[in-house]
Amino acid sequence: MNGNSEETDEETDDVLIARFAGNGITRDSADHFRGRLDRRLLMARCADCGRWQHPPRPMCPACWSWNMTMDEVSGRGTIHLLMVLHQGPPATGVDYSTGHPVVTVELEEQRALRFTSTVSDDFPAEDLAIGTAVEVEWIERDGTPMPVFRKAAS
Amino acid sequence: MTDRNPMKDQVAIVGLGSTGFSREGGASSLSMALAAATEAITDAGLTAADIDGIVATNEPGASGPEAIAAGLGITEATHHTKPTPVAVFSLLDAARAVFTGAADHVLVVTPVVMGPWNSRRAAADPWRRGARSGILPVPEDATMAAAYAAWASRYIHEFGATKDPFARVAINSRTNAAANPLAAVDTPLSFGAYEAARMIREPLNIYDMDLPVDGADAFVLTSAERARSLPHTPVLIHAATSGIVGKNDEDQLDGLHRTGQHVVVDQLRRTSDIWIDDIDLFYPYEGFTIITLTWFENCGFCPPGEAERFLREHWNDDAQRIEIHGRIPVNTHGGSLSEGATRGTGHLREAVHQLRGTAGARQVDGARAALVTPGGFFFNPQGAVLRTAT
Repeated sequence: MNGNSEETDEETDDVLIARFAGNGITRDSADHFRGRLDRRLLMARCADCGRWQHPPRPMCPACWSWNMTMDEVSGRGTIHLLMVLHQGPPATGVDYSTGHPVVTVELEEQRALRFTSTVSDDFPAEDLAIGTAVEVEWIERDGTPMPVFRKAAS
Repeated sequence: MTDRNPMKDQVAIVGLGSTGFSREGGASSLSMALAAATEAITDAGLTAADIDGIVATNEPGASGPEAIAAGLGITEATHHTKPTPVAVFSLLDAARAVFTGAADHVLVVTPVVMGPWNSRRAAADPWRRGARSGILPVPEDATMAAAYAAWASRYIHEFGATKDPFARVAINSRTNAAANPLAAVDTPLSFGAYEAARMIREPLNIYDMDLPVDGADAFVLTSAERARSLPHTPVLIHAATSGIVGKNDEDQLDGLHRTGQHVVVDQLRRTSDIWIDDIDLFYPYEGFTIITLTWFENCGFCPPGEAERFLREHWNDDAQRIEIHGRIPVNTHGGSLSEGATRGTGHLREAVHQLRGTAGARQVDGARAALVTPGGFFFNPQGAVLRTAT
């Protein structure tokens, strides 16, 4: 799962880069995006000390191990940061005239391990607030799976 | 304390130049850089032959030191760099060059240009439409500029703040801009207009963020000793620093309780004999209003989360601006909300004008020391304490 592997398939990488060009995909984050194609939210984790880090980087900043892996997170967390965009880059299914929410979710796996996306279409407006418990849900944008957050089942 | 800051008061800002700022477009980055640079060198009482150091800027579309040197007719230079944009990076680079003897007279030149990603006028300009920005083209992104709206929501949540202190920062800038001929926008702003403003990235509206502009600032630095024989009152760099926390990815920052702003403040307090009780002028960056609130708090004017109370208590209602203890004005030039996105060079230029007594209609009588704090929360917080020689 190491993004620096010499054995990466050039054609596969080209396809991956094309699909996630807008997300700033790099060699170091490639496996996170491969996971998205399988609808799995993968984040970088140190196989030696267990610390998560995001965005993915090739070495563990806590113990300097190079034994980084990609593990699936639960997708559960709470809204930590919240904004509603009234203008922004064009994207399929995004309507700025009604306001497009962007949430940064603090995941339950580790303090200050966060993932930024939007919320599900049926997210209750009254719960769109910092502190609301959420869980990941997969939608598609332009045929590519995309993780978003719905209100957590209580 | 002195050994921590051997450069204290040893380097002076002796020349200023600025094109002023506008949203008209039509000039090249290099032409604006050369216009500001020639003005600054002339203002310092020097000529191209005296300049042996050039600090350009790694701004999109900006020329490197080699093109500046060629364009100005510089003879030879022994310091020529292109640091990350934001004012104190350039100031520190130039000051260190002077202090270490790398060069005697260093020119800092900082052009900014509107790009096709933030300006319709630039997108329609055939000479600019090919320029690229580093901004990611997906909406679901809380980095770069968007991060300030995201953390503004967190600030409001944690402290139960209203938008009132944000409004006061914006209104203060526009009030002060009325007397600044360099400003791109100089009309006053009312609380009502602020409250009615179009949201851009809620909770931030169009008045909470600076505007893309064209223009350039330039500065000339030399030793405090050489400065004494030049035309203007030398303005000394008493202390200056940048600072970051290691975990500084915008949406992964641990919290507002410890950002690069705290690192900057701690370092300035270790290296400066002058602090907030001693200053006459304060220039906190306000490219996004949330940044200003935390600069007030982190510099120690008030505890965390109390900028709302502080700004209300230190508001001059007649003048519609902030006056700390009725004495210390804030962003006397109108800041980035009026001059535009100049990355703090306007804050620095204005502090120098005030301290040397060339601020015209904006002049604060007897100003001797200023605190300038450009930059935000993540990768560019910075600060400088400037003072006059006497």
